Amino acid sequence: MLRYIARRLLIAIPTIILVSVLVFTLQQLLPGDPVLTMAGEERDPQVLAFLREKYRLNDPIPVQYFVWVGQVLQGNLGISLRTDIPVLKLILTKLPVTIELAIFAMIVALAIGIPAGIISAVKKGTAVDYATNVVALSGLSIPNFWLGILLIMLVSVQWQLLPASGFVPPSEDLWLNIKTMIMPAIVLGTGLAASLMRHTRSAMLGVLRSDYIRTARAKGLLGHVVIWKHALRNALMPIITLSTLLFGELLAGAVLTEQIFTIPGFGKLVVDAVFNRDYAVVQGVVLCTAVGFIFMNLLADILYVLVNPRLRHAR
Amino acid sequence: MINEAALRSRETDLAVDPLASPASEPLLRVENLSIRFDGAPKGINVVDDVSFSLAKGKTLCIVGESGCGKSVTALALMGLLPTPPARIVQGTAHFEGKDLLGLTERERADLRGNSTAMIFQEPMTSLNPAFTVGDQIAEGILRHRKVSKTEAWERALEMLRRVRIPAPEKRLRAYPHELSGGMRQRVMIAMALANDPQLLIADEPTTALDVTIQAQIISLIRRLQEESGMSMILITHDLGVVAEIADEVVVMYAGRVVESGSVEAIFEDPQHPYTIGLMGSVPSLGRRQGRLATIRGSVPPAELMPKGCRFTPRCPFAESRCATEPPPLVEATPKHHVRCWYAPLEQHRGAVS
Ligand SMILES: Nc1ncnc2c1ncn2[C@@H]1O[C@H](COP(=O)(O)OP(=O)(O)O)[C@@H](O)[C@H]1O
Ligand code: SF4
Ligand SMILES: [Mg+2]
Repeated sequence: MLRYIARRLLIAIPTIILVSVLVFTLQQLLPGDPVLTMAGEERDPQVLAFLREKYRLNDPIPVQYFVWVGQVLQGNLGISLRTDIPVLKLILTKLPVTIELAIFAMIVALAIGIPAGIISAVKKGTAVDYATNVVALSGLSIPNFWLGILLIMLVSVQWQLLPASGFVPPSEDLWLNIKTMIMPAIVLGTGLAASLMRHTRSAMLGVLRSDYIRTARAKGLLGHVVIWKHALRNALMPIITLSTLLFGELLAGAVLTEQIFTIPGFGKLVVDAVFNRDYAVVQGVVLCTAVGFIFMNLLADILYVLVNPRLRHAR
Repeated sequence: MINEAALRSRETDLAVDPLASPASEPLLRVENLSIRFDGAPKGINVVDDVSFSLAKGKTLCIVGESGCGKSVTALALMGLLPTPPARIVQGTAHFEGKDLLGLTERERADLRGNSTAMIFQEPMTSLNPAFTVGDQIAEGILRHRKVSKTEAWERALEMLRRVRIPAPEKRLRAYPHELSGGMRQRVMIAMALANDPQLLIADEPTTALDVTIQAQIISLIRRLQEESGMSMILITHDLGVVAEIADEVVVMYAGRVVESGSVEAIFEDPQHPYTIGLMGSVPSLGRRQGRLATIRGSVPPAELMPKGCRFTPRCPFAESRCATEPPPLVEATPKHHVRCWYAPLEQHRGAVS
């Protein structure tokens, strides 16, 4: 098991290197001379030369790459041009907010998507199946911003149940923090629930046809044991794959929802950075997202082993 | 001619009439079972008017080529057919006085794996890859018996011993992928017999296994049957096995019983051209060994099923009447039934020549 995880980690290394090269290249391709940007109004050639030397911009590109990697490894992702705050610090303040939101959204998505997928697979071809599919399709086609606005108008404005927007750190007021997360989590989660439901349905349909399900029934096991124990366990692999992918996307892609509910998360950071051409921040965010995806993949690999004993003995 | 047919079918009715032999009520009595699949041409049943019965402690072998409806019949008896697409058109299956086909799903589940059990053709895929062998045996015990988890696992261990699995304590915690096909089939047998069923249905339990393992599994099943006194329906392609362990034989062709009787009657005096074909030659005395002989052609698909005798396109004795009129199942000699217009063939051929 540990060896398996170690091997997965090793496999992740080339991916990380590739990502870092891409991010570094992006930086090289950016228009404008970084020294001119840094120097501001200063045009003194000596100062410019000094800056060039200081940031080792005269070195060959590969050397510059290693210098940059060294800095990144020390946690130095550069400084936001617009806010003068270190990029790492910016990311570290925004990321937990988005992770919290993503977790809540995933809970909503899993709690709706998996049971709905199972029910529609078990009731395949019946009215229940069609109804679930119609609801899922509408869930997929309703844009997040529309659902978000609808929820705000109903739940916050009309019924005054939950705050319409804003964010309170959990350290300040946990209950209020959760209340502010509910609606955005529903908006994000229902969108994902639809695709989770469809994947669960097709995975379950495949599994329900298999011989070991017939064996389980031949033992006289009741329907719910056959489905929730014997079938679901085997249908979990594709569900895990999709869930971790979706979670990764939530981290980078909750932009619109964060805007609607004015949640100061990662998505907002990205949008602000892109609009302000704050390249250092964009770069840090890209790097961070890439590493996040790699981490989610690793998580998926570990979960696979937990549900599939055959992998435990893989070399 | 029509009168003769009517006469013959009346004999058939008498022969399968349960009231005719009230003395020894069989453990299982299947009568006029017909099954169709949705989408099949109208009136074409995959299993058509199948009747047979099985006494306590006896073994009934069902033989026939692939696609003859043997598995569908077995699954229907276990209540494991997917309905839809399968539909039971007519028939009854009395087991211990209850009609299996008339029970509710819950009542059927209470019998499954308890007093009726089944093992399948594909040991490689019939065990759940996600759970240990012990778990899968024990859960069947826990389902039907009021025992603790520990007792169920002890019983599972005992079952692994009874099916002669080496190092059973270790195997209890093994996952199916760690076992060979033969071992997995032993596990399936252990699972099926864990609650001491009165009826075991074994659907080609050795077809997917290595030849060397096949004999071991058959003799294991045989020995376990002798130990427990259960009845068995064995579906097999191996006439050697049939000759060795069957008491009764049912020969199926394209969903119909074409011949049935005691193993002696079937082997020593086969009457139906299909049975004779399976045995690989014209009727003669003496038991044959080995697999079914191949007969030219194949079982027609439902769309091309002849209206009369379903064997017509492949039958060397077929005459014009065969294609249009289905022959009834008649009693050729006592307790030996044949579904052919021209049975017994010797007599008929003699009369013709
Ligand atoms: N789920 C199904 N849907 C439609 N047709 C089926 C299904 N299962 C079996 N059949 C058909 O029923 C016939 C009998 O199959 P089966 O009982 O498996 O034959 P065998 O005698 O080889 O066990 C075959 O022609 C097969 O095509
Ligand atoms: S009824 Fe006719 S076709 Fe059918 S088995 Fe007898 S002789 Fe052959
Ligand atoms: Mg079969």
